[in-house]
Amino acid sequence: MMKPAYILSASAISPQHTFERGQLLQPIMSSNNGRLYVVDADYRQYINPVAIRRMSKVIKMGISTAMNALQQAGIACPDAIITGTGMGSMLDMERFLKDMIQLEEEALNPTFFIQSTYNSINGWIALQTKCNGYNQTFVHRGHSLELSLLDAQLLLTEAETTQTVLAGCFDEMTEEYFFIKNKIGYWKHDIPDSRNLLQHSDTPGTIGGEGAAFFTLTNQPAGALCSIQEIKLYQDAETSEVQTGMLQLLANHGLQPADIDLLLCGMNGDARQQPLYQMAMDVLPSSAVGAFKQLTGEYATASGFALWLAAEVFRTQQVPAPVLYKGTAPARVRHILLVNHYITGNASLVLLRGNQQP
Amino acid sequence: MAGRIVVSAMGIISALGRGAAAHLEALRVGQSGLRLPRHLDTIYAQEYLMGEVRPGNDELSALLGLPAGNNGYTRTTLLALVAMNELVQATGIDTLAQEPLAFINANTVGGMCSVENMYMDFIAGDTPEEYKKYIDTLDCAESTLNIARFFGLKPFMATISTACSSSANALILGARMIQQGLVKRAVCGGCDSLSRFTINGFASLKNVSKTACRPFDRDRSGLNLGEGAGYLLLEREEDALARGAQILAVLTGYSNSNDAYHPTAPSPDGSAALRTMERALQKAKLAPTDIDYINAHGTATDSNDAAEGKAIERLFGAGAVFSSTKPFTGHTLAAAGAIEAIFSIWALQHNTVLPNLNFNAAPADVLIRPATATNHREMNHVLSNSFGFGGNNVSLIFSKA
Repeated sequence: MMKPAYILSASAISPQHTFERGQLLQPIMSSNNGRLYVVDADYRQYINPVAIRRMSKVIKMGISTAMNALQQAGIACPDAIITGTGMGSMLDMERFLKDMIQLEEEALNPTFFIQSTYNSINGWIALQTKCNGYNQTFVHRGHSLELSLLDAQLLLTEAETTQTVLAGCFDEMTEEYFFIKNKIGYWKHDIPDSRNLLQHSDTPGTIGGEGAAFFTLTNQPAGALCSIQEIKLYQDAETSEVQTGMLQLLANHGLQPADIDLLLCGMNGDARQQPLYQMAMDVLPSSAVGAFKQLTGEYATASGFALWLAAEVFRTQQVPAPVLYKGTAPARVRHILLVNHYITGNASLVLLRGNQQP
Repeated sequence: MAGRIVVSAMGIISALGRGAAAHLEALRVGQSGLRLPRHLDTIYAQEYLMGEVRPGNDELSALLGLPAGNNGYTRTTLLALVAMNELVQATGIDTLAQEPLAFINANTVGGMCSVENMYMDFIAGDTPEEYKKYIDTLDCAESTLNIARFFGLKPFMATISTACSSSANALILGARMIQQGLVKRAVCGGCDSLSRFTINGFASLKNVSKTACRPFDRDRSGLNLGEGAGYLLLEREEDALARGAQILAVLTGYSNSNDAYHPTAPSPDGSAALRTMERALQKAKLAPTDIDYINAHGTATDSNDAAEGKAIERLFGAGAVFSSTKPFTGHTLAAAGAIEAIFSIWALQHNTVLPNLNFNAAPADVLIRPATATNHREMNHVLSNSFGFGGNNVSLIFSKA
């Protein structure tokens, strides 16, 4: 079995106040047009001022959260950089594609093309940190972040010395993306206020969102917020298969259902995905349940927000009120289980353990 | 030796043809697959040579028993399915289905080859019904998921996108997962089809050549784009032997590192390419003199070949035996790492140096010369380079069993 990956720091830019310290999820941001956009940060603090002028938003938020996570952990240059993204820089892709069609393949701006490549943010982070180490980008829908975390855990398991890995994710919502995906049933027909999303879980569809989250991980427990114990991934799985996986996960780590203090679920208001989350709540009947997509909207790497949130819960030992979905906030948080599902049939389980002192 | 990771099956499609026999023959006689594209609809089609796979989409579909027309499969996926089919036939589906398997795929622009023809309909009020099944095909994982579904497999899946080193990275990840015992076998590789998006992207960067590319030549003028797919089956040596499989090569060394120099250009002194090759040698516990042949990235852009050439010269000396096979296939992007891994393994198996077509003369300050003919050479270890945008560099080393 792989060794735990210890999380030293976490940083998130999201549709909520998550980036600047001291205003955790306050005030709650919402929308009633079916999508949530990030609260912009002061990206100039983190990015070369010459380079930033041509960068699209997702690149700026990706680099900024990455650099912020490194700064929090006091790491100038990690040993590896691993990212996951569902769509990369959608806006750059759209610009280059439409220019190509409308200008009939003449006089195109290469910047949009370069920035639309999925690994461009990795390249920028490597450039800014002068990191010559392992560098990897996963583009695998709702498993993109989880694969980057799994690869990080693999690297840290292989390492014979202390190593640090920067891992994270980014995705953006665009007007065209929202419009196009509506044609194949991604979004709710009757759009609720985002804050009430989960009260509409009897109809299909969700609301869209975006965000970036980065983490520094290491193979030593000293100074860590929590650790990733195990990650399990499922594609187009029956609910019963995921249920078996949850029970295995508990058994693998010598845990009883009651040991999971918080079950953090990616329920997104889509009736089609409720059975999975209902199963998870049934397997862990005494655990407090948290939910977050009413705060972020749905996107391929929304689980990055969930992992950031979990790290905050371990750090503060408090479950923010807007997150609590069922039960009462636990007095002490030792274990969190993330259960997430993305529209394209990707389910994931991530078991986290707090790094409590003995 | 216990625990060695071996290659025990392969599948390939490129402008040189389908499957091992067609490729080996083209490589032996030095027959390039470059031509003016007939399937890709672009203003460059009458001017720019490309490594286009000969069959069109309907012919590829027919090979797979799929209906013609807009059947929901992108050309990217059709190419991948044909290559994968060769590997599946060689291995037997039961071997892949019955024990823990990883499928690590690599890709750069997903189903852009389809989406670019439909996008204005996507963003218009009405989208033709037969286009709607392509709405979810733009991302890289589309091919991965469709390949697994086509063959009825439920493996651990991942899709990597690190530009031109993508499928070389897929091989590394598969090997590492087997080493840690997470899976028993891994099918690793990549696929990419030609698209207007990609040809225009590279053209806007002004590094595409109209004529057949000339890697490492003094008068090189850029790359030719290509398309294709390549997959390799990795497993532990003892597992391959236990099922009676032929061992094609041992993956003895690999390295992934980042240039950290520039978004699209390599460090001009070649230090990044050098670092990547050195780390692969360290992993393989080999010295530069142990490497009998290098399949270079060799895109024939000014910057790549200058940097890579300097690195090869510094590490292996003026007598380095190397070539770029890009003039055969064009640059197949995410598929290139896997396709060239397969070429490197063939070179190793057949003790044959593959020729670097179209080379006439080296730049004045360069001592190394690529091999220009199909030469016999006893080989024990070969090295394959894949360097990409974003500074994503990979070197792989294959050795005889």
